[in-house]
Amino acid sequence: MFIGTEKLTHTYMPGTPFATEALQDVSFNLQQGEFALIIGPSGSGKSTLIQHLNGLLRPTSGRVLFEGIAVGSNKHELLRLRRRIGLVFQIPEEQFFSESVFDEIAFAPRNLGLDESEVEKRVNESLEKVGMQAEKFRNRHPFRLSAGQKRLVAIAAVLSLQPEVLIFDEPTVGLDAISRKNLYNLLTALNQKDGLTVIISTHHLDQAAALADSVLVLNQGRLVMAGPAENIFNKRKQLYELGLTLPPVTEIMHELAEKGLPVKTAVYTLQEARGEIKNMKRRYKP
Amino acid sequence: MVSRSAAIVEAKNVDYYYPGEGETVWPALSGINLTVAQGEYVALIGPNGSGKTTLLKLFNALLTPFGGEILVQGISTANEETLPAVRQACGMIFQNPDNQLVATTVEEDIAFGLENLALPPAEIRRRVEDVACLLGLRKLLRQPPHLLSGGEKQKVAIAGVLAMEPRCILMDEPTAMLDPAGRQDVIDTVRDLNKRQGIAVVHVTHFPEEAAWADRIVVLNEGQLIVQGSPEDVLTDLSLLHELKLQGPAAVELAALLREDGYRLPPQILHNRELVDSICSLERKN
Repeated sequence: MFIGTEKLTHTYMPGTPFATEALQDVSFNLQQGEFALIIGPSGSGKSTLIQHLNGLLRPTSGRVLFEGIAVGSNKHELLRLRRRIGLVFQIPEEQFFSESVFDEIAFAPRNLGLDESEVEKRVNESLEKVGMQAEKFRNRHPFRLSAGQKRLVAIAAVLSLQPEVLIFDEPTVGLDAISRKNLYNLLTALNQKDGLTVIISTHHLDQAAALADSVLVLNQGRLVMAGPAENIFNKRKQLYELGLTLPPVTEIMHELAEKGLPVKTAVYTLQEARGEIKNMKRRYKP
Repeated sequence: MVSRSAAIVEAKNVDYYYPGEGETVWPALSGINLTVAQGEYVALIGPNGSGKTTLLKLFNALLTPFGGEILVQGISTANEETLPAVRQACGMIFQNPDNQLVATTVEEDIAFGLENLALPPAEIRRRVEDVACLLGLRKLLRQPPHLLSGGEKQKVAIAGVLAMEPRCILMDEPTAMLDPAGRQDVIDTVRDLNKRQGIAVVHVTHFPEEAAWADRIVVLNEGQLIVQGSPEDVLTDLSLLHELKLQGPAAVELAALLREDGYRLPPQILHNRELVDSICSLERKN
């Protein structure tokens, strides 16, 4: 086990009439280098779970484990842990406060007490990683970038800590098609080339579904399904009952299968769907 | 049947720019001419930074144009005295409902605008009741808004606008932060208001599948109105959409790939069902 939870329970406002169980007995584990999705209806506990994974929230009961050891224990003292597990909030650019892209990204490395040459190096590396030329962007005002660029700067700010795990709460909110695609290309590269473990909570499976190794499904604070992506996405009926939908392409494949056509439904990209429909003819006469 | 002859909102040769600091000042909008008729459902699409949100804010008189003019029911938005009439006729729904819910209970929130109109209490009560019934919010009236789900919050925001008895609802990516069920609920609610009450809708979205349900699509790019037309014409024009780095609905994109592979599909496939039915009838012939 690399990162996961053991009977994690979280109660907001415990001991008051407003006490709400946001998570109940949630147990799962992910391997190093996995690309995992957390899905579930609004209010199912996704954001609560994410905040536990880098120790922003502390369990009411149960444990969060990193490398098999409890988060918040001596070995994984929280401040040090948060350098290794980076968390990117929803619409992270709303938290910008610096006058330049450079200062925005340098904030965390400076807080680590690194000397200015190392800070400089980390800022440049982080910008290059997200595909922005350091020379061109370092002096720009972060508020004057496009929506897609702002999102990338916010991610670069987390990458400057050189984390091993990257967690995103709904990474593509408000982005257009091309920025969504660029963002997922970046996440794929971070996951496959740099070996980062990536965990994403999202309502928009369009691009995410094709990349996921494993999927956790939350409903009303409970983990109701967990496993390899293909197994979860094939349970269309159960997902429907939770108010969740599959990517539009996958929906088309399911509708074709329902009409009796011999197609595989675990298809998440246009090109896969095209290939699958082309191959149909062969299946009529095996 | 609602008469469509009269214009609800008109942009006449509108220019707008955000003042830059030492950088080139890009026009956010230039030379925009657009008329939204009574009872019409218009989807506004375009890449990030194309001017969609700016145009909505101009329609709602949150911004006023530097060149040209905006008329709401024939009243110019440039005139300070008539602002309340403009904003009453043209209500705004933002991406994040948390940014526009102000009161401590749902009913007070819905009543907020009405109280500002200084309507008699009995009239306020009647309107709050009516919109709560219409949108299925009656059970939630005494609840604090922050304890609702995202979809419920967005419906409370819509209720607050609807209570003002607007002729047009402006929506800026109203479903971006919602789960699939909440998304569907909000879209169904707005389509129903549009069809049954003849309230015009201007809907900014990054999701082509949502835009496909509009009467008319308006495409913006770099502050200019590039093209407008029916969803069947605009959303099936993939060479245009791709040039602007936009996506077509999944059914349109997949149909285009299949046509390259020799599938003889009808030209105006827009929705999943049309694609699935066409593929099935082709397969049956074989």
